[in-house]
Amino acid sequence: MTRVRLSSSLLLLVAASLMLIEGCGHKRPPASATGAGTYPRASSPGSGAEPLDSGPDVRPLDSDLTSGEDITFSDASGEGGPLADVYFEYDQSALTDAARATLAQHATWIKAHGGAKLSVEGHCDERGTVEYNLALGDQRAQAARDYLVSLGVTRERLNAISLGKERPVDASHTEAAWARNRRAHFRVSR
Amino acid sequence: MPDCVPRAGDEASREACRTIAQVLRSDLRFEFPPRQFVPESLLTAIPAMNPDAPNFKDWESIGAGILVVTRASVTGGKMSVEVRVHSIPSGQTMLAKLYSGNLDNPRVFAHQASDDIMSLASIKGVARSKIAFVSDRDATKEKRSKEIYIMDYDGFNPRRLTVNGSLNILPAWSSDGRSLAYVSYRQGSPDIFQASIYEGRSANLTAGKGAQAFAPAYSRDGKRIAYASNRGGNMDIWVANADGSGARKTTSSSASETAPCWSPTGQEIAFTSGRGGTPQIYVMDAEGLNVRRLTTVGNYNDAPAWNPSKEFPELAYTSRLEGGFEIAVLDIASGQVRQITQGRGSCEYPSWAPNGRHLTFSCNRGGTWQVAVSNRDGSEVQTLAAGPGNNVQPDWGP
Repeated sequence: MTRVRLSSSLLLLVAASLMLIEGCGHKRPPASATGAGTYPRASSPGSGAEPLDSGPDVRPLDSDLTSGEDITFSDASGEGGPLADVYFEYDQSALTDAARATLAQHATWIKAHGGAKLSVEGHCDERGTVEYNLALGDQRAQAARDYLVSLGVTRERLNAISLGKERPVDASHTEAAWARNRRAHFRVSR
Repeated sequence: MPDCVPRAGDEASREACRTIAQVLRSDLRFEFPPRQFVPESLLTAIPAMNPDAPNFKDWESIGAGILVVTRASVTGGKMSVEVRVHSIPSGQTMLAKLYSGNLDNPRVFAHQASDDIMSLASIKGVARSKIAFVSDRDATKEKRSKEIYIMDYDGFNPRRLTVNGSLNILPAWSSDGRSLAYVSYRQGSPDIFQASIYEGRSANLTAGKGAQAFAPAYSRDGKRIAYASNRGGNMDIWVANADGSGARKTTSSSASETAPCWSPTGQEIAFTSGRGGTPQIYVMDAEGLNVRRLTTVGNYNDAPAWNPSKEFPELAYTSRLEGGFEIAVLDIASGQVRQITQGRGSCEYPSWAPNGRHLTFSCNRGGTWQVAVSNRDGSEVQTLAAGPGNNVQPDWGP
């Protein structure tokens, strides 16, 4: 219980009346405090680079590139890019057969585009907590990245990061939406 | 509460008067249960009070033991608020203070007065404390950003801290309230940044390690920071100096560890680990030795928060119960668990008020996620009107 030691009857009444007093005339009691607070100013943003949309300088493509395809960029939803999302089972970071098949295709594309660096993002659906989903997303990103490396992609070209449940593609609360959100997503930069 | 009686017809001054009374009443009600207040209907039973010389017998007759008298005057852009607290049985004045300053935020006068009144009851007031949180209100279709905001403990005056249009999450206050750590993806990979909020600077604490960092938590003495990072391969708890130097890995299981939180003494760290198969809460000493499991109820427990008050040795956390998540509190000595929230949808991510008497967390009962507060026993759950969008991941600062 609260230990309110103000009086024996422990009853409190607030602000019985307020009166305006123009100018002076009342006795100043001891102790005064500044009422105005100081407010935190907005911090100036760090001068960090935009997230991966502008990357390192363009390097010459590998000389064994035969197809001459342009490097395209995948946008936030994963559409229009060369590398489709791969999906995971609920609460799992293990790769399904379908995921492996897709990743094998990605490995081919990546090796054919020697100048490309990628981030591999691990995502979760909304049914876990904020922090543990960041850990699960990391497991998913690493699983996808490690598999690509096992297929011959140079590890330094892949940056595995977790987005947890912070950037779903589908914010609805359905099984279908959750399944779409449990994914590894690929962003390509030059 | 009787109407404010102005000496002159100045509407702005009357408005300030009303604000002071309303805010002070809310602040005091936050700490004391409703039954400790004399019902307002009884105020009409006694004559109007003369603030210079209250008739204590009138108040005694309706059962009041304490009388708080406030007066306000406004001249130019400045406000003066006078607060006196009288003990009715003895007629003694227990507190008499004058607060003066700019008129731009009348609420802070009331918050200050409330904290001063709380100290009469030997309670550390939290009316001037702030809650940091994450909001997606600034997101556009192209930039699905989340930014860090800071608001008063009652949900007023939300102010934006980060302006980089990226994903900014997991704010964590330092004990002195001058720094706020948070995770930002503004440089591509998530790093921990420290915002010195009165100086408008942010510094990257974990740059250059080729890894991600999450879930920062300052020790109470401000000298160390714990966080989760996959720098060692999988997600582990790391402890560094508050400037990010000298980082050491303190957990070593092959499972993921995250969500570190310091004990009030700074000697132990509670954290979430999947080493037992599902996420559960463990505790270790700050060097990583002597790991013990704390949670035994439920199959998904995360986000420990250690009550900062010596009076309440307990841990709040998020627990999966019956399909959704709710806030639970574990009594460390007895192992007893009490459930703090319940209802449709979920609540997660608890953080304690600096006096250990209240919790903040976020819930999605109303469709969007919003920040809420409650007493430590789960009573008086209130959603804070923190502004538009989804508002999550609150951290209650000094």
